[in-house]
Amino acid sequence: MAQISYQRFPKVKIREMKDDYLKFELRETDASMANALRRVMLAEVPTIAIDLVEIEMNSSVLNDEFIAHRLGLIPLTSSRAMGMRFSRDCDSCDGDGQCEFCSVEFHLHVRCDSDQTLDVTSHDLVSSDPSVVPVDVVERSDSSDQRGITIVKLRQGQELRLRAIARKGIGKDHAKWSPAATVTFMYEPDIHINEDLMETLTLDEKREWIESSPTKVFGLDPDTQQVVVIDPEAYAYDDEVIKKAEAMGKPGMIEIYAKEDSFLFTVESTGAIKASQLFINAIEVFKQKLDAARLSGDTEEADDQFGELGAHMRGG
Amino acid sequence: MELGSSDKTKATFSLADEDHTLANSVRFALNQDPRVTFCGYSIPHPSDARVNIRVQTTGDPAKEVLKDALQDLMGMSQHVRATFDKAVVDFKTSEPVKP
Repeated sequence: MAQISYQRFPKVKIREMKDDYLKFELRETDASMANALRRVMLAEVPTIAIDLVEIEMNSSVLNDEFIAHRLGLIPLTSSRAMGMRFSRDCDSCDGDGQCEFCSVEFHLHVRCDSDQTLDVTSHDLVSSDPSVVPVDVVERSDSSDQRGITIVKLRQGQELRLRAIARKGIGKDHAKWSPAATVTFMYEPDIHINEDLMETLTLDEKREWIESSPTKVFGLDPDTQQVVVIDPEAYAYDDEVIKKAEAMGKPGMIEIYAKEDSFLFTVESTGAIKASQLFINAIEVFKQKLDAARLSGDTEEADDQFGELGAHMRGG
Repeated sequence: MELGSSDKTKATFSLADEDHTLANSVRFALNQDPRVTFCGYSIPHPSDARVNIRVQTTGDPAKEVLKDALQDLMGMSQHVRATFDKAVVDFKTSEPVKP
């Protein structure tokens, strides 16, 4: 029985794109889809982070688990992550989750011998795989200002020696695996100025009204002395201008709606994955989830497993 | 996964290891389909990663309708991906890379 597909075809337009920052518009899709992508970007795109730490020697002021926790939070370049296996699913290692297919090994050995305080930073982590390194190591580009992420500080005579295993994981399990610093989306605003009502205001009143908005959304056209919209996206959906219009005795002078199918995404990555790659990976992960749901629907389970739930769902 | 084997047009599907991420999008996709008379999802307990999706249709088996909705979502995701890739290329060619 062929059914007409009511699938919509969303449109994408990129506003700004840097390595770790991405701003783009997503149109003609629903909020549930936009939210699903946001949730996946934050919690379900896999990255690599240090997960197991074997400390051989630690005479620093921080205790072992403190240092292990800090090591876990260091972002590592995770372009390999999508193709890697989870340690728990890996069948090529002896079961301890430390083979070359499912993990990356790091070494750290620092001893402070001078009487100056020594900073142990992410630059001191030595990786067994040059494609998986702490994020700030890549950005070094010969500038000695970049000292790396501080792990611990050592005094003369103190030493830190450890071996760390980094594994693939998702943000849902622990925030150290989340590749996104922040992902937000806002509805695009649709602003209508009632010109007739606006004309009844004096120039000073217009200025006052424009000033009442916490963000610079409106401005005064110098030539025509009309109120125009300068930057609709600066509108933060506070209703200050609407309340001000009502307070001035002109309700209905301004109408602002949120377009329900137009979203402006801002994606900021920690550096583990490039921002544009993060979005692409999120779509792939979302597709995998849909696939899993589609295929699991092929198994039928006994009705008695549903007993109580069935009664609850039927309103019994 | 199905509730009541006699009437195939109404069913509740329980998906394990899922949450609002998938369930809300599937619910939206189901609502787009005119064959669906009722659809909704619930999460029985927040600590339990399980989602129940209820579908009632005008005559088609609920399982088929759900599968079609998932298929539509796949197609939409694939389209978003292709559109995004193209948008990245357009952006890169329109703005020369600054050192």
